[in-house]
This record gives sequence, C-alpha cells and structure tokens, in this order.
Amino acid sequence: MKDKIIVIAFLLIIFSLGILQFCIKDQELSKIERRRLTTMKDVYEDFPNNLENYLSDQIPFRNSFLKLNQIWNRSILRNKEHNNLYIQDDFLIEKLYPLNESSKNNFIKKINDITSKYLSGSNCFFALIPDKSFFLNDPISLKINHEKLMNDLEVNLEIPFINTKNTFTLTDYFKTDIHLKQEAYFKFLPLLQKSFHLEDLEVSYTEKNVSNFKGSSFYKAPYSSLEELTFYESDITKNAIVSHLEYQNNLIYEEMEEDTLDMYNIFLNGPSSLINITNPAATNEKELILFRDSFASSLAPLLLPFYKKITLIDLRYIKMDYVANLVDFQNKDVLFIYSPLIINNSSILK
Amino acid sequence: MIFSSISFLSLFLPLLLSVYYLSPKKIRNIILLLFSLFFYYMGEKWYVLLLVFTCFVNYIAGLLMKKYNAKIVLTLGLIFNLGLLFYFKYTNFFLNTFINLFGFSKVTLNIILPLGISFFTFQNVSYLIDVYKKGVEPQKSFITYATYITLFPQLIAGPIVRYQDVEKELSSRSVTFTLFSEGVKRFIIGLSKKVLIADTIYQVYNTFLTSELSACSYLLIGICFTLQLYYDFSGYSDMAIGLGKMFGFQLKENFNYPLIASSITDFWRRWHISLSSFLKDYVYIPLGGNRKGTKRQIFNLLIVWSLTGLWHGADWNFILWGLYFFILLIFEKFFLKKYLKEGLIAHCYTFIFIILSFILFSIPDLKELSIFLKGCLGINVAFWNQEFFYYFLQSIPILSIALLGIGPWLKNYYQKLQKGKWKKGFYFGEIFFYLSLFLFVIASTVASSYHPFIYFRF
Repeated sequence: MKDKIIVIAFLLIIFSLGILQFCIKDQELSKIERRRLTTMKDVYEDFPNNLENYLSDQIPFRNSFLKLNQIWNRSILRNKEHNNLYIQDDFLIEKLYPLNESSKNNFIKKINDITSKYLSGSNCFFALIPDKSFFLNDPISLKINHEKLMNDLEVNLEIPFINTKNTFTLTDYFKTDIHLKQEAYFKFLPLLQKSFHLEDLEVSYTEKNVSNFKGSSFYKAPYSSLEELTFYESDITKNAIVSHLEYQNNLIYEEMEEDTLDMYNIFLNGPSSLINITNPAATNEKELILFRDSFASSLAPLLLPFYKKITLIDLRYIKMDYVANLVDFQNKDVLFIYSPLIINNSSILK
Repeated sequence: MIFSSISFLSLFLPLLLSVYYLSPKKIRNIILLLFSLFFYYMGEKWYVLLLVFTCFVNYIAGLLMKKYNAKIVLTLGLIFNLGLLFYFKYTNFFLNTFINLFGFSKVTLNIILPLGISFFTFQNVSYLIDVYKKGVEPQKSFITYATYITLFPQLIAGPIVRYQDVEKELSSRSVTFTLFSEGVKRFIIGLSKKVLIADTIYQVYNTFLTSELSACSYLLIGICFTLQLYYDFSGYSDMAIGLGKMFGFQLKENFNYPLIASSITDFWRRWHISLSSFLKDYVYIPLGGNRKGTKRQIFNLLIVWSLTGLWHGADWNFILWGLYFFILLIFEKFFLKKYLKEGLIAHCYTFIFIILSFILFSIPDLKELSIFLKGCLGINVAFWNQEFFYYFLQSIPILSIALLGIGPWLKNYYQKLQKGKWKKGFYFGEIFFYLSLFLFVIASTVASSYHPFIYFRF
C-alpha cells in the first residue's frame, strides 16, 4: 500500500505537470525574478533549445516551487544567503561583497574626468549613500569595507566629499528594498544646505502612505511582510513641471499598482536618463544638477523648494558627451550622489 | 535532455510511460528505441544519425561473424568503433601532443564530442567481443540491438551495460508492480542525489573557489569536488537503474559506497563498477592478467590504468590520474596490503588519496595544480580567513548530509528503526520522505540554472 501511494503520487505529479503545462495560459513576467519569462513564441523561434526554458518558466505552480526551493535552502540547508540575499534583523540584504577595487578606481576616474572637463565653474560635491549592510551589527556577514570605500573616495575625488557616515541608521531603509525611505533624507538635508549654502525654508508637507509597499527584494524571500512607504507632498511638488528626456510624464509622485514590478518607481516614475524638474514657485534662480542613481529619486522632491530647477542625470542610461550638449553646467550647484552598488559595478556607467 | 530537466520529468517520461504501457508488448522495443533516439536528439541533434549508424554497423558485424572469418570481422569492428572514438575524442589531443613535440603552432580541429560516445562505444565493443567469444548469440533483430545500445536510461552516462546482462530482457520482459515501485523510488533517490546534493555542493565548491582563498578553503574545495563527483555520477547511475526497472530492465549496480573504501584497491571495486569490470574482462585478462608473472602483471596494470585515465578525458591530467592510481595500486599490492585492514587509518588514508586524485582529475594545468597543492599546505596563503568562516558556516548542513550519505549508515539505521516500535510512523514517513524529496527536486530544478552532469563529457 505504501509503495502504491508513492507510485500513484509520483505519476500524478509528472502527468499533471505535463498536462497543466499546456492548459494554463503562458505568463509573460516573473515578479520574483524580475524578468521576462520564455513563452511558446520563443519555443517556435528556437526549438528545441528554448523548450527547457519554456517548460521551466511556465511550469504550473511555478512561484510555489520557487518558495519550496527557498524552504529547502533556508530552512533545511540553513543557508543564511540565497540568491545573493540574506535576512538579518528582519531586513532583506542584497549581498554586496567584495569591494571591486578596479571598479571603484574606474568610478573615481570617471567622476574626476567629468568634473575637470565639464564642471570647472560649478559648485560640486560628492555624497555616498551607504549600503544597508553598513549598519548591520553582525561580525560574520560579508559586506564591503565601507570605511575604506568612504576614505578612498574622500582622498581621491577632486571634489569635496559630504560624509554621511553618521547620518542614517538601519531603520531608515526599507526592509524589502535597497533604498532609503524618503523621510530619511530629512536628516541629510542639513548637510546639503550647509555644503551648498542653502537657506532654511518652511515647507508644509502632507504625508501620503502606501501601505502595501513591496520592495525589489520582496519576492525573493519567503514570508516577507508588506511595508509602508511614505512620500511627502507639498504645493511645490504638486505644481512642479517634470520633463523626461525619453517620454512624457509630469508627475513627481505616481502611485503604482499593487502588482507593479518595482513600487519604488513611485518616485519620478522610475529609471530615466535625464529629468528636468522646474519649480514655478521658486524664490531664487538657483539650479541643481544631480548626477545620481535611483537613490536620488526620492531625494530630489525634497530639494525642490531650494531650487528653481533640478536636473537629474543617470549615467547608466545616457553618455556624458550627449548630456553636455543638453545641459548647461555653468555656475550651477552639482551633487554627485551614488550608492556603493554603482561604485562596485561602475562599468555600467556610460 | 537530462533526467533532472523539466522537459524530461513533465513531458518525456509521462508520454513514454503512457505510450509504452498502452502498446502491445511486441512493439515496446520500437517505442523505447524511438523515444531513446528522440532523447538523444534533444541533446545532440543530428549526431543521432551517427548513433544509429554505429548500431547498424555493429549489428551487421555481429551477424557477419557467424558467416565469415570472425577474427577479421571483429578486428574491423574494433577498428571502426575505436576509430570513431579516437576521432571524436582524441584527435585534438594527439594532434597537439605531436605538434608540441615538434614545436609547430597549435591547431584545434572543430570536432564536437558526441554525448555518451565513450559509453556506447564500449557497449558495442563488448557485444562484438562477446559474440566473437561465443558468449552470446548475435542479435538478429536490428530494432532489438539498437534498443540495447540506445536505451535512454544508460545512453549518455552509463552504467556500461553488457549485452549478455540484458539479452533476455530485450526479447521478453515483464514489469511487476514491485519492480516498478522500486524503480520509482530509486529514480527519486538518484534525482535527489544529483539535484539536491551534487548541485548544491557544486555551489559551495564554486563559492569557495571564487572567494579569497585560504588553506582551509583549498582543502574544502578538494572535498567538495570529490563529493560532488560522487553524488553526481552515482545519482545518475541510480536514476538509470530506477528508470531501467520502470521499463523492466535490471541494470547492474555501478557504485557501492566507494568513498568509505578501506584501500584504493577496494575503492576501484566500488567506484564505476561497470567500467572497472569492462577493463578487467576485456583488457586486463586478455593481456594475461596476473597469470604471466609479476613483471607482466605490472605491465598489464600499467596498460589498464593508462586506458582508464584516457577514457575519462583526452588530456594529460587524466593520463596522470590513471597513472597515479596505477602507482597506488602497485604500492598497495606489494607493500601496503598487509597494513590496510578495516579501520579508521585505512579509511582516512583512502579518503585522502581519493581527494588528491580528484584534485588531479579536475585541474588540467600543472602550474595551477602546483598552486592548489601548495594552497592546501598553507604555502603563500593564510590558514583561514573571514570568507572561509562565513561560507563554511553556511555549508555545514549540506556537507553533513553529503558526508552521512557516503556510507550505508543512514540506510542501516533506518532499516533497524523500521523494525522497531515506530513501524507505523515509518510507514507514513517513507511516503512523506519520497514525495517531499521529489517536490524539492522539481522546485530546485525550476529555480536552478545549473544542471549539467559532469560525466556527460566522457
């Protein structure tokens, strides 16, 4: 009887997987993996090479199997780290290790080249947003040597370095996302005001909450809980004029659907090579150029009251030579703000 | 196609089982043949024609041996089979060895090695020799002969099945429920060994290899590679045996807990048994074995172990690997034999020399090998570092599972408990065990992008 149950269940599993595979409609996207899935169209294009990918991507109960695999890895094999992700103090941490020295040097050279070639008359600063792992009180986990990274940047960059070492704490970050919460930047603003000599302003913000926020790591770990994302709206952010280089979208904050792949895109609609934000209510003519990665998307709206115009440049998506034709850097405030993730993978900067 | 792929588990296997068991017995060999050829086509595309061609030539050679001069037919058959193997597997190796000797510039011919050629060549060769020696009657049906050679469970990674072992089953076989259920359970165990253990250990191995190396990590890399190779290959053999049973074939065991052997001689009685016995029966004994004096025996062993090395790969490190075992076996035979009895020292000695052999096996470059061995001794590297500690802590569970599985201890303990007062619990426990393993395998296969079986390259 025991063997009968095993055999019947085995046959039931393989037959039902095979039959259901072709009965269930193909899924186009996997949120867990943040990638496009192979569909039947791909199989027609390259048979039999794409068949295994197709069957593996479109297997019934795929997400349940992926969760089961995580149970195998985390609960049975007791792997702290899985898919480069580990959980520490309830925070999902994308492992960033080791520090890639040649990438770091390439990054420093890139910034120094930009400043010497294009920004000689500008007021430039560099700020590093620490990786979440910097704040972990865990001697075992592997993380990049932030102290060394900060020191290397401070010593080798030809522009002043804003030290953020004591500005943030672990709870300033989302649990399921690599980014800082927007409210954390209120602690960073005084440093910027001091560096760029910005006057104090009274801005009245309305807190808007998104209670079902799922960060980019959410789907990679089982049993992740939903978080709350707060964004800060003011008359300035409502009336700002936003223009993206590639497409039309005039919103500082755009609330995302619950099943959106990346809910952090609520800020400035996500990745974009070049964004101009104009503040019609500005009381001065100051302009800010932000060379940035995604971290600055939630910082820029809070800087808007201080400037007439903010230009956000993401060199992952646009070449500096091309930017130079579109943006006038003369007599502008310029802030380079990056996270260690970009510094460690600087080849992605164009 | 590989057994741990979703295409095999959710398409190929259910489709074959349905068609096979719904068909009349007399066409079941045709069905197995067609599915086996499709199985091979999925991995090797049009090399499937080469496979069919070799089946045809050997089938005809077997028949011709009865009518014409058997010795000439056998010689031609051996030249054909070994010539093909030489062409596909060894041309570049011998060409470049020759070129290096005379200082010419390196040439690499674009010859792609057909999957499993070493396995099906040896099966064809064993068939011809057995027919020549009149150990078996030549097969009269091409379908039956081709089914034997292409039988998908053992086609690309063994075990090497001799014709005489499956001759009866090829013409008439029946599958009882007991045999089928044994097959299913064995298949699940093999799948789990491959997917859940070997592939996970590969990740550990790779993690250590790409981390900042220390003496401890070098040692662990050696252990991981040995464990991975064992679980990968023995898992594949388990799957082949299990699938064989599901279709009525009783394939011989290929492994018998080799990593707990008490000597290197004992290890080779337990590791890849079908290859060892093939070389013993078709090379060592025909050369005279130990019947022609000590010097000749040593020479015979040298030939066998050079061939063993060469069979595993067309590179000098594989030949060195074979010679390494030749030296160890000679040493054991003439000096160490009396000291190596069952005991911790004997097992440790064997385990250490097996690990060393697989380090030699896995590193083709002699310079890199020297760096690796120095690394193991802590020369030019730290004894351990933070990375080793971090990754080692994470790998303790999988290494513990893998080390526990190299011996029969868990199986014996389970059987002992099964007879005790917890009988009922084990009844449901066994069902849960097999099904959860199978589901974990599917989950891991869906999640993982690493599948290749190491032994495919042979």
